[in-house]
Amino acid sequence: MTVTETLAFSDEAMKKYEWLLSRYPTRKAALLPTLRIAESEFGELGVPQMKYVADLMEIPPATVFGVVTFYTHYRRAGVGKYHLQVCSTLSCALRGSGDVVSRVTERLGIGVGETSECGLFTLSKVECLGSCDTAPVIQCNDDYHEGLSLEDVDALIEQLRQEAGKGGA
Amino acid sequence: MSDSNSTVRWTLNGTEVENEAGMTIMEAAKVHGVDIPQFCYHPGLSIAGNCRICMVESNRSPKPVISCSERIAEGLEIKTQSEVAVDARNSVMEFQLINHPLDCPVCDKAGECVLQDHSYEHGPDRSRFVEDKNIRHTKELGPTIDIWGNRCIVCTRCVRFCDEISGTGELCVVERGDRSVVDVFPGVPIDNSLAGNTVDICPVGALISSDFKYEARVWNMDKTSSVCGGCSRGCNVEVETLDGFVKRLTPRENLDVNDWWMCDHGRYGWRHLYADSRLESAQHDGQAVSPTGTSGALHQLLSSSSSTAFLVDPYMTCEELHLVRSIANSLGGSTIAGWLPAAGTEETFPGGFKISADKHPNRKGAEHVLGSDLFTASADQLKSALSNGSIDTLVAFVGGDGFEGAGGEWNDLISKAGKRIVFATQQGSWCDGADLVVPATAPLEKEGVWVNEDDRAQRTRSCRSLTSNHFPSELVVLQELQVHMDLRNRPLSAAGIFRELSETSDAFSGHSHSGLGDSGSPLSQRPAAMSSEGGHS
Amino acid sequence: MSFRKIFTPYIHEDKCHSLKFYQSKGGYEQARKALNDWQPDDLIETVKAANLRGRGGAGFPTGVKWGFVPKQVDKPKYLAVNADESEPGTFKDRLIMEKNPHLLLEGIIICCKAVGIHHAYIYIRGEFVFGANRLQNAIDRAYSEGILGENCLGSDFKLDVTVHRGAGAYICGEETGMLTSIEGDRGQPKLKPPFPAVEGLFGCPTVVNNVETLANLPYILEIGAEEYRKIGPENSPGPKLFCVSGHVEKPGVFELPMGVSLRTLIDEHAGGVWKGRKLKAVIPGGSSAHVLTADECDVAMDIESLAAAGTMLGSAGVIVMDETTCMVDALLNIMRFYHHESCGQCTPCREGTGWLEKIAHRIAVGGGRIEDLDLVTEVCDRMVGKTICALADAAAFPAESIVKKFREDFVAAIENGGSPAWVKRHPANTGGAAAHV
Repeated sequence: MTVTETLAFSDEAMKKYEWLLSRYPTRKAALLPTLRIAESEFGELGVPQMKYVADLMEIPPATVFGVVTFYTHYRRAGVGKYHLQVCSTLSCALRGSGDVVSRVTERLGIGVGETSECGLFTLSKVECLGSCDTAPVIQCNDDYHEGLSLEDVDALIEQLRQEAGKGGA
Repeated sequence: MSDSNSTVRWTLNGTEVENEAGMTIMEAAKVHGVDIPQFCYHPGLSIAGNCRICMVESNRSPKPVISCSERIAEGLEIKTQSEVAVDARNSVMEFQLINHPLDCPVCDKAGECVLQDHSYEHGPDRSRFVEDKNIRHTKELGPTIDIWGNRCIVCTRCVRFCDEISGTGELCVVERGDRSVVDVFPGVPIDNSLAGNTVDICPVGALISSDFKYEARVWNMDKTSSVCGGCSRGCNVEVETLDGFVKRLTPRENLDVNDWWMCDHGRYGWRHLYADSRLESAQHDGQAVSPTGTSGALHQLLSSSSSTAFLVDPYMTCEELHLVRSIANSLGGSTIAGWLPAAGTEETFPGGFKISADKHPNRKGAEHVLGSDLFTASADQLKSALSNGSIDTLVAFVGGDGFEGAGGEWNDLISKAGKRIVFATQQGSWCDGADLVVPATAPLEKEGVWVNEDDRAQRTRSCRSLTSNHFPSELVVLQELQVHMDLRNRPLSAAGIFRELSETSDAFSGHSHSGLGDSGSPLSQRPAAMSSEGGHS
Repeated sequence: MSFRKIFTPYIHEDKCHSLKFYQSKGGYEQARKALNDWQPDDLIETVKAANLRGRGGAGFPTGVKWGFVPKQVDKPKYLAVNADESEPGTFKDRLIMEKNPHLLLEGIIICCKAVGIHHAYIYIRGEFVFGANRLQNAIDRAYSEGILGENCLGSDFKLDVTVHRGAGAYICGEETGMLTSIEGDRGQPKLKPPFPAVEGLFGCPTVVNNVETLANLPYILEIGAEEYRKIGPENSPGPKLFCVSGHVEKPGVFELPMGVSLRTLIDEHAGGVWKGRKLKAVIPGGSSAHVLTADECDVAMDIESLAAAGTMLGSAGVIVMDETTCMVDALLNIMRFYHHESCGQCTPCREGTGWLEKIAHRIAVGGGRIEDLDLVTEVCDRMVGKTICALADAAAFPAESIVKKFREDFVAAIENGGSPAWVKRHPANTGGAAAHV
């Protein structure tokens, strides 16, 4: 797989990885944080990225595969630049997360689990984000957007579009 | 209360019992004849405790406990048939079955399926589940293994096997909850020398051997407890045949040899039985000889021989070799040597399993019967004798899978004998121009004793494949020859020949077929010692 | 003595999370004393005497838990701080980590000194990126100021603290699931015994404590066990963070003494039920707890009182539902959560959570049958107490109590062809779907 051959951590990432190894008594314990490094280095955790981490850490790729698919917060292959994760658990649902999902669907023309044609947005319903007092909530990539009205949802989408435009995406 | 050397008194279903401290409830109950059901538990693997079918009622816990991991203790009271225990088992069975496809009629596991058995005993007779069942992947996991994901109960036996026994780690469980299923990393198939065992230990029909798929219903097959001839490890196996055709080999538990496992070389290495080149009838000067006429033709050739040499192979049983020795002795002035196939690669695994580099099942036995220099000095002498043309008649045994004959050098030398009698499993240059060609039994078709690399004598038994039914075995032909030579009144069974051997050979002294039983015995362990331990299970 | 807030007194101040601010309020003084003046056993005894009980959900006495750790072992010992905070309706530890991270670190130092631990891992859920960064910054500062590291606060005590981020899995809030996750695996709970105190993280003796639990420790040392035990009921004393969310005017985290009335919490602190509506149902301790009806809300928010009321304090995540809430939809939402989050290891949980969601879904969309209500209860019975961890119980408790206490909502949904929200969205289908099954 030629893609795998071209993947490599930057020096900085490698330094971070070495530091991680020093924090645990076993190499394998560094797997979850190393996947985070891979995620930010490579943008997503697809097959080649998982293979790279497995080879780097000298653990079977199947182990990495099992771990990545167990957790829901890793950025898997094919997710848009902005991953809109709408909390849909009870407290958010009671305060209108269903309407937030509908609003995003309307504005972006994508359903849950879909990515917009421009590749900018992916919409997901996720479970409790631990921000129930500020429901409804969207986590977009790393950031929480809390206490959202439907207008806030529109504004968020607009802001992200502009941000993407500026970034020359 | 009790240290690890002592026994523990506890109560099983109302009866006070004693067991060695440290045993699990499941192990200890089994000693008292109480079998507790299991899916994820396997004695050769770490304890996962995930299937929950082995839950029993305990006086030490408000909730039922799993008997595969909880250990017995002084004063512990366990009930396996109480309402709590029965309800726990019934609960697990109902949950196991709700998303299971119940496709037993088309499932290769049917008939030997743990889920099927437990369902019969502990499951509901109808389903309360009216929802759509979950769908999971059905695909190839490797060159020899497919997965029917819908049947998977995520017991993780196969995953643990690849982590702990083969150490290859190709399998994992992906996703979570009721979406979870066994998988491989994309592009990294399960492909190790022990992979086939994962199919055996799958308690349901999730992992399926692509070699056996749709080949037979398991209840229709005949089973023979035998020994694999693939290497000098001598793994204990079950050979399963349908209408005389071998369909599959599975390992037979033997903690002194192969634990619960066997390698894929042995597992799939039986196709030579049905090769196009397989010899099925004797030929004398290019003419077919009837099965009953073979020994006569043999006798005729030998009686006119001025000097006879025997070249034996390390697949021959101790009984066959004993007969060769007796015939050679009576002929006078004859020599015996043996040939060995090329060494393979030794493979060892983290779980302790070993595939030997020596690809012959009975070298040790042959050396015990015919001398320790059989394959060395004697072989060298025979080679030079053949090169000099000083051998009048050669009787060569070319067994095993037989495709390579007796190996490059021997194959050339064989033809230098004045007259040539070849016992062979396959046609080949070694048969060309021979005066008499006799069909030979292959491993799995032999009845007798092999001695493995650890000097353990084990009985290999004939699966009576279709092919081997076409001709008399060497055991019979050689004895008929003895009858012709007035060395014997009538042929005996392999057990009878082995008795003769044990009476004339120190190495085998005191051993017998019945004493060796299904799992064999170290030659050094004489029956007196064996009987004090209560013999074999 | 009047009640004094210890977690949240300064959270509205700008730099409340900084080391300088924390130290200006007497921060790390108790840790300094613990390191230099206290004997480990005395610390354990004091925490036992204070009767501090775990704030993560199970309410196990913290000092007793520490006491289970063997004193003399060849192996290292670990502290695993449970900052996974994933119980629906709970958002209190996040507040501590984001606004008062040094309070947590001080608590960690005290615990580690008491038990003889030299490495603590803080397991923070993956979604809390901001909190993890803030925590890491606080730790970095603590190292550079000599609070952590080779000689903590000038003592000869060595302590390392490592933030370990989760990656999205509720089950990692279960203590052994968390340990498995720190070890780099799928976060599946481990068989017990052995218990973590004896054989936990990396096979070594391990203390697992919740963030809020640890954050109590400086205060206990400051005022003493006796004074601490006077806060709230004796059997579960102390200051407590209560989370209120759902249909209230002012959702939020409220720091109050243990034992505050649930009704007071809702009506006074959280501003009452929103939009002037009536109360219908309350989940008092995170979504795993048995639901309470409006009539059952005159109950003290402490471990014993809620247990007596047939539910639990759990993580003190109070979710309030007003009169417009359809409990069929609520059940479906909660069951979807547990189905999504079951690790899939144990059969009853793996299969049962999915089954419950499917039944709830079928009732909500008009395919319900009256016998489904008994079926839910029976499926719950078959799940409870039969698995490695308590996730199956956590799914079953709300399910059986919601169906039992709000049966009329379910009967209505079955008779009307679905929950009100479904019927509104699919008027044409009404009746058809019901007739189908």
